Parts: sequence; C-alpha cells; structure tokens
Amino acid sequence: MKIEWIKAPIGRRNFLKGATALGAASALPMGWANRVMAADDGVLRVRSYSDLRSLDPAYSGGAFDEEMHACIYNKLIQFKPGDEWGWQLDAASMIEQVDPTHIKFALRDDIGFTNGFGPMTAEDVKYSFERIIDEEIDSTNKPDMGSLSHVEVTGEREGTIVLNEAFAPLWSIALPYITGNIISKAAAEAEGGKIGTDPVAESGPYLRDSWNPKEKTVLKRNPDWKGDTPAWDTIEIYPIDDENTAEIAFEAGEIDFTRVSLGAVERYREEVPNGGTLIEKPSLYYVWLGMNLDHPKLQNPKLRQAIQHAVDVPTILEAAYFSAAEPSTGIIAPGLAGNRAAGLVPPEANLEKAAALLAESGETNVTLTLDILNKNTYSAMAQVIQAMLAQIGVTVEINVLESGAFWASGDNEDLQMVLNRYSMTPDPYYATSWFTSDQAGVWNWERFRNDEFDEIHVQASQETDQGKRAKMYQRAQDLMEESGAYRFITHEATPVVHSSRVVPALRPDGLPLLRYFGKGF
Amino acid sequence: MILFTLKRFALALLILFVAVTVMFLMIRAVPGDPVQIMLGPRATPELQAQLTAALGLDQPIWKQLLIFYGNLVQGDLGTDVFSGRSVTSIVFQQLPFTLELIFASILWSATLGIALGAYAAAHPNTLIDRVAAAISVSFVAAPAFVVALLALLVFAVHLQWFPAIGAGEGFWDRLDHLILPAFAIGLSWVGYIARLVRASMLEVMGENHVRTARAFGIAERRVVLVYALRIAILPVVTVIGVGMGFLLSSAVFAEIVFARPGLGKLVIDSITTRNYPIVMGSVLISTALFVVSTALADLINALLDPRARTAH
Repeated sequence: MKIEWIKAPIGRRNFLKGATALGAASALPMGWANRVMAADDGVLRVRSYSDLRSLDPAYSGGAFDEEMHACIYNKLIQFKPGDEWGWQLDAASMIEQVDPTHIKFALRDDIGFTNGFGPMTAEDVKYSFERIIDEEIDSTNKPDMGSLSHVEVTGEREGTIVLNEAFAPLWSIALPYITGNIISKAAAEAEGGKIGTDPVAESGPYLRDSWNPKEKTVLKRNPDWKGDTPAWDTIEIYPIDDENTAEIAFEAGEIDFTRVSLGAVERYREEVPNGGTLIEKPSLYYVWLGMNLDHPKLQNPKLRQAIQHAVDVPTILEAAYFSAAEPSTGIIAPGLAGNRAAGLVPPEANLEKAAALLAESGETNVTLTLDILNKNTYSAMAQVIQAMLAQIGVTVEINVLESGAFWASGDNEDLQMVLNRYSMTPDPYYATSWFTSDQAGVWNWERFRNDEFDEIHVQASQETDQGKRAKMYQRAQDLMEESGAYRFITHEATPVVHSSRVVPALRPDGLPLLRYFGKGF
Repeated sequence: MILFTLKRFALALLILFVAVTVMFLMIRAVPGDPVQIMLGPRATPELQAQLTAALGLDQPIWKQLLIFYGNLVQGDLGTDVFSGRSVTSIVFQQLPFTLELIFASILWSATLGIALGAYAAAHPNTLIDRVAAAISVSFVAAPAFVVALLALLVFAVHLQWFPAIGAGEGFWDRLDHLILPAFAIGLSWVGYIARLVRASMLEVMGENHVRTARAFGIAERRVVLVYALRIAILPVVTVIGVGMGFLLSSAVFAEIVFARPGLGKLVIDSITTRNYPIVMGSVLISTALFVVSTALADLINALLDPRARTAH
C-alpha cells in the first residue's frame, strides 16, 4: 500500500493554539466526563471476589463462576431473591416430585441457544445433568448431584429426573445452583465435551460479550431472550479479591454493588457514600476452633472441654468481627433445617468451669499450637483465644500459615488446634459431609469419628420430612460438640453495599442473583 | 564492544537459568499439595491422580526440571489446568499492563528526579537545594502502598478525578487509569534519582572539563546541562536498570490496590493456588525482563562511558 504523506498546514499561531488547547485539556482530569456520564449509561457494575475460571458448570470454581453462569445459562429452577430460601421456575414450565426418587419436568418452549444450536430440549437437560456424574468427565461438582441416576427423556421438552435414592438437597443445591445449569448438548459435544473460558452456546437473559482476564467480564442483554426483560443492558463484573479495594472502588462511584469487609460495617451503618445503602445479610459460612482428636496432647476429654468453656465467643466477635457477626451454635446457619437454637456450650466463657475441668483433667503445663490462616481476622481471633486460654493456664503458640500451606493441613498429623472456616451451600447435607469418618485427615481435620454421626449424614440426606431432617442434623451437631473437638464461633455475616442506581436481588445469604437486579432511580 | 555485549548476554542467560531453576525448586518446597489446592475439596481421587500426571508431579523433581527446560526450549510453557489456555498467552496477555505501568513510573520519576537533582546541584546549599533535599528524602521514605492508598482516597474517592480500579480501554482511558498507580510507585524513585543526580552532579561539577568549560566562558546553563549532567546521569541509567526488579515488586502492590491486571497479580494469584505452570511462566518472563533491563543498562553505560567497558 502506498502512503502519501501530506504536510499539515500548521503555522506558529495554529501550533500555539493547538498546544494551548491540548494543555488545557490535559489539565482536566481525563476520565472526569466519563465518570459523570456513567451514572446513566445502563451499565450495572459489580464486584466479584474472583475472576472467571470456567464457563463449564462441571468445572465451575464456585460462586464467582456461578454469578456468570446464572446470567448466560438457564436452570430448571433458580433461587428466589429474598430473605427466605426458596426457588422459582426458570427454564421449566412445570416441575414436580412425583415420588422420593422421580421428578418430572417440562421445559418452556421459548428458550433457545445462541450460535445456531437451536431450542433447549429435554436432551440438553439429560446431557447437562448426567455429565456431572459421568466418570469420564470427572466433574469437581459431582457431589452436588448426590444420588442422581439418570434423566429419562419422555418428550421433546419433557423428562423425568431419576434418583437412586431420595436426595433432599436436590431442591436446594443440585437444581438451583451450579450443577443445575443447562448447556447445549450439541455445542458441548462440538467442543469435545468440555467448555473452556469462551462461551459456545448461551441461552440466558445475558450473553458474554467480552472477558479481559483479571480485569473485567462484560455481559450484554440477549436480544433473543423471551423471558422477563432484564433491567440492565450491560453488566460489568470486576474481579477484585481485596475487600478494601472494592470499598474504595464503590466509594469512588466505579462499582454499584459489592460485598464489604466486616470492619467497614460500622462506618457504613452511619453513612454509605453516594447515597448508597448497606444491607446486612446472614452468611452460611461457619467458623470454629477445632482440636485434633488424634493428637497425643489432646487425648484428655476434660482438657478439650476446658478449652471449649474458656473461649469467650462474644469477645472474639468484638475483636475480630467488630461486632458485625453473631455467635453460632454449630455448622448449620439460621434459616436452614437443622440449625440449633442453642449449643451445648454457651457462647460466653465460664472460666471457673474451665479451670475446674482443667484441674479434673490432671493436665499441667499445657502448651498447644494454634494454626491459622494469614488473615487479619484470624490473627485477631487467635490472639484473643491465646489470652483467654492463658487465664486457665494453657499456653497457646500461634502458627500463621499462608493459604496454600494452611489448606493442605488435612493430612498434618501434628496439627493440634486450628481456627477454620468452611463455605456452605443452602443445605445442611453439605456441612456434615466434611466431618464424616471417611473425611478424617482429609477435610475433617479434627479427625472426629462417630458412627452415629456418619449414619445421620446418610439418612438425613434422604429424609424428605423437613421436621425430622432438622432434628437429625441438630443431633449431629450435638455429637460434634460433645466430642470436645469443636468450639463453634460464628457464621460471620454478609454485608453488601449498593448504589442508589441499583435494586439488588440477593439470596438470603447475600450472594447476588445478577439477572434479577433492578434499577433504582 | 561486541565482545563486551556477548559476555554481558551470556551472563544474563546464566542469571536467568539460575533464577528460574531456584524458583522451580522453591515453589515445590512450599508446603501444600498443589493438586488438592487447585481442584478444591470435592475432587475425586481419580481426578487428582489425572491432574498429578498431567502436571508431571508424579515424576522426580530432577525429571520435572528437565521436562520444563525441554518444553521451554521448544517455546512451550505449558497449559493452565483450569482454563485450558496456553500459559504463554496468559502471561503475554498480562505483561503489557505491567510494562506500561513500569515504564510510565520510570518516565515520570526519572524526568522529575533528574530535573530536581540537577537544579539542586546547580544551586548547592541554597534554600532551593534544601527544600529539594527535604522533598526528595520524604519521597524516598514514602512506601508505595501507602502512597497508593492515599492517592486513591484523595484523587479517586474524594475528588473523583481519576479512576480507582482497572486498566481501561483505548489509549486515553488506559492513560487515565495509569496516572495514579504510576504516581504511587514512581514517587519514591523521584526522591532517589534526585539525590543520586545531585550527588553525582556535584562531583562532576568539580572536574577539570567542567572548570575548563567555565573558563572558556560557556554559558552556565550549557555547562550544567551538557557538560555536567551528561556524565552525572550515568549512575541513573544503572540504577534504573537494576530498579526494574524493584518496580516489578512495587507493581504487585499497585496491581492489587488498583485492581489492575498485570504480571505481579498473576504471580501472586498463581502461587496462592499453586498453579505451577503459570507461576513458572510468569517468573520466567519477569526474570527475563529484569535480566534484560540490567544488561541493557550495562550496555548503555558502556556505550556512554568507555571506562565501563574496560572495567569489565
């Protein structure tokens, strides 16, 4: 190609004019105009705590992937926004549990996949669900599908989900969460059975428009979506792992919605910048002080009980959670079947009782290590525990570990005490699954082994009577506490802030359901 | 000069080899099963075994190292186990963000630092010199992450002049997003370079050629800028070359505080998740960056000052 260079007619005066204009323009903050206009541009900007890992539900990394999956895919049912756990129809026009192991469904007739992969059919549902339990696929989310046997296709858009045995969490985990996302069979097979980080066929109210790794993901409204029109034209998801950075971004007006740190709650209770609102939701996470039952130093049950009674939970919450979280009674959060109204050991410490139990144990000069993750919250908790146990004559040495080393502590036989925090889905089955005997030394770091507990874990997952199920899980937590291996601390809390432009749609635990987000004024 | 260049790049290759090998061994010495961390609590033993084999972690370490270098020679840095994308593409996608941040920081800090240092040296022991010294020392003492947070709070949150997060799209938007992070990590370099240039300038100003230039009646401005600064600036070139490593580590803070994409953040995230292929790819590139920049600084030095060549 021939390029012809033309001399620009720039005289001294023109040059000076141009330079002055350029200088004046550069003196103005460059993005100012954009930031002012951003208020009315139809773009919802939200923060996610991690970047996209996979667009394949079988390999979803968790809530951060699901925030996107839930926008670009459909499920038979979706979580209902609000304060109570529940679900609503999504891709299903009908769904019904006909007996403990059979669930009939019919799909809506107006949902189609992009890229020419046609309407959503029962074959797509069968493919999507069965691949989660397929040995070949080896999905990391296989346990969520529980006792799924197969899906029978009874019509183009009708089918029956068949379970091997009753599985209560189907309605609270399997169908409305990660594994419930329906993908196109034809599209996935064309990709060799595995979807990476590029969408192959989408069907939800939004389409993935772009992904700049470690920076942002942009979702745009699906023009072919026939369901309720989503309020926002575009959703921009910013992966920001640091909560303080997210708070600054919110206060600078650059994001509309984010979870904030518990330390910031008091400040936001007084005033949320830019006319925003603070919402404090309970969380499903559970935090506890664990004791390794296999360790020679912790064999004495009276010593473990003394430690349980010496730890003052309200003081820990004040120091580490700035009084923004409530004490917990176990591993199952309020609002879920099996939550206990009270634990066996009250949250407040009883130092006299603790000292008496220690005396009964006959143990003297006790020194124990406490392993913690290298986060401020855990450091604060550990220091409080150290001070409290010192009052009854137990010396605690705090062992701070970075996350990789900490999360590999399962097989650490020298582990003595540990401050731990596990995530949770809205079904108690998920919580108890980590504390069974076969998990000892894997995720059951306390090496708690109890046959009755193991039996409850299996039977409760098959129990469809919610009242009976709740009692079973309450008993399971009693057993954990009776072992002396656990001092339950808190379920934390999920404080989120949003700008006045946004009407957020949240799960009862505060996680966002982006496709249902509305507009403020 | 050719022999000097060859020797310098041979040394650079050796440094690169040692640094990457040490990093390879160190990351494997860190406690924590990478497969368990990568796949999370719910992975089946079969999947864990499959990934262990895919990453070559079932092989002895010496063999893993050989495989790594074997693949490296063929330009293959491996594949990210999560996304299935090539490590090379992931690393090179992040690299420009870090490079633009480092170069912007160097550019503004060197420009201001040299000007400040030269001016102070040209007016020694005056009020201006003392003020410049106070400013320089306070800049040096300001940690990058503190400056970053303060800059964010003042200019992004309070005044809302600059964006708080991200790297932007398009030239002007990216430039807009670059100002605060570059300011934060370049500030201490302003002071450092200013002090260095001042000290170097004062030494050069007393040398014969400067005195001779003055004796010939050459204008003072020309004496300072041409005869003195040209020589006095040599240590700055070396410092900037070595400073690339320091700026790379400062860039990590900036990338976290400003939620910017970049190599530093990629390394931190990958180490946390024990994503070995990405850790090694990122370390290789950032080490290469450091080694090449120091080698280039040496070469520029040698080019400007023939004594440096003979010293080697």
